[in-house]
Amino acid sequence: MNRHDDQILAEAARWHLASEDDAMDWDAFTLWLEADPRHSAAYDEIALSDDLLQQHSSVLEDVGTEAEVEQTRPVAAPATGDTSVEGAEIVRPAFGRRLRWAGMAIAATLAAVLVVPQFISPAPEVYQTAAGTQKIALDDGSTIILAPRSSLTVEGRDQDHMALSGGALFDIRHDPDRPLTITAGRLQISDIGTRFDIQAQDERVRVAVTEGKVEVSSETLSAPVHLAAGKGLLYDAAAGTASVAAVRTQDVGDWQNGRLSYDDAPLALVVADLRRYAGVKVDMPDALRDRRFSGTLVIGDGDAALRDLAQVMGLRLGGSAGAWRLEQPAS
Amino acid sequence: MPCVEVVGANWEMESQEHADADGLVLLFEMHRAELLRFLTVRCGSAEEAEDVVQDMWIKVSGLATGPITNGRAYLFRMANNLVLDRARGRRRSMKRERAWIEAEGGGVAEPPEDRKDPGEPADEVIAREQEAQVLRDAIADLPEGAQRALRLYRFEGLGQREIADVMGISRSGVEKHLALAMKKLRQALADCGMFDTAASQGHGGQSGRKPRMEQGQ
Repeated sequence: MNRHDDQILAEAARWHLASEDDAMDWDAFTLWLEADPRHSAAYDEIALSDDLLQQHSSVLEDVGTEAEVEQTRPVAAPATGDTSVEGAEIVRPAFGRRLRWAGMAIAATLAAVLVVPQFISPAPEVYQTAAGTQKIALDDGSTIILAPRSSLTVEGRDQDHMALSGGALFDIRHDPDRPLTITAGRLQISDIGTRFDIQAQDERVRVAVTEGKVEVSSETLSAPVHLAAGKGLLYDAAAGTASVAAVRTQDVGDWQNGRLSYDDAPLALVVADLRRYAGVKVDMPDALRDRRFSGTLVIGDGDAALRDLAQVMGLRLGGSAGAWRLEQPAS
Repeated sequence: MPCVEVVGANWEMESQEHADADGLVLLFEMHRAELLRFLTVRCGSAEEAEDVVQDMWIKVSGLATGPITNGRAYLFRMANNLVLDRARGRRRSMKRERAWIEAEGGGVAEPPEDRKDPGEPADEVIAREQEAQVLRDAIADLPEGAQRALRLYRFEGLGQREIADVMGISRSGVEKHLALAMKKLRQALADCGMFDTAASQGHGGQSGRKPRMEQGQ
């Protein structure tokens, strides 16, 4: 084995050790794997070796504590101290490793920093809302208001990577040294120092900017889209469409005040919003999903908002509370 | 993308008690591209990566989970474990195949000194004993610190930080010990041919051996 292989195996072993940790940096690991095709094979061998070790652990536990070690290692002077400690440790209940890892916040001072920097970034913070909203303050003074029934993950040393499911209104301090990226559905929204709103639901993502500008990119978009203040993007992965249109900035984030405003929005999207913001669940036939709605719904009373919507759209509201259904009126 | 359609339908129709599973499905879709990228390089084949993504999709959508604190890491770990499961299954079936070839009077894969009973058919039990013996020797040969760290880590279930406390050394010292131990174990297993066929696997080496042999889970 040459030194290079040895180096690869050492790195693979460190990645394997880090992978059990909740704070494992999977992106850096992916990059490491991509750097050299031998990396993945080395990682497999290390992981399989450890796997075998664990399979055989019941018959191997005596190794190193028995007389055989004293024979092969007569100079094992500290061994006496070792065995007493280990003897005491054996009594410990063998509680699940994963469970304990989960609660551990890891200091970012792992070794190997020179070999492969950033094995571990600080544990991500996950925010999840039920029927209410939550205000999140970042260390740099930026604020985020997370919509009801939404979740936001904040990752990275500088809190510079986020993932959103649901809605949120962002007010981000501009810092050229800390480009922020937010993943929402299949979009990445970045280059941020601004005020904007994102709604990510199913395959649809809406981005609306009220101040500054953002860049929106995606592997499914041919080129990044730049959105300035007063512009909004509606992206629909299922339909394969992305459209930019003007938005009324005073309407952006108005869900905080119990109002949802639309301009030519597909009904499916409005109904999904009603579920998120007002907790009302509505079914509808596929034929209605792309019907367009323009107007403002007041969502203090979800059922009332739904009745308003049905009326404006000329639709019939069937079913009952908890299981509403929008239907084409029989003509 | 038929999968995408299913997700949409799922979200609309699923009842509230599956909110957690729904959340995980959404999270899965959210990170699908990153997971696929990771799996492609991890498996060394885009095709197998797609297979694993499909496996994940089935798992994730059928999973009744409790609240998950870090969904993204959870998904990556799930992906990594699925790949490892495949590698494990592959190694096992390769071992059986090799044992069969040897029983037929073919070449001897292991060096003679590692074969405890050359006369006996190499069945599962013996293979397992052999593995255990290789590991036992390898552990006994580890330097003092690495051996102790490994014992605490794998046999007594301590975390790296706890090991640092017990041994009175730094976290990075523990990591260094454990990485060395893992490397030595892998070396010992490789020396007795444990990864021979597995190694040529990824590059489409051996005749007639399909990389994916296992069925279902």
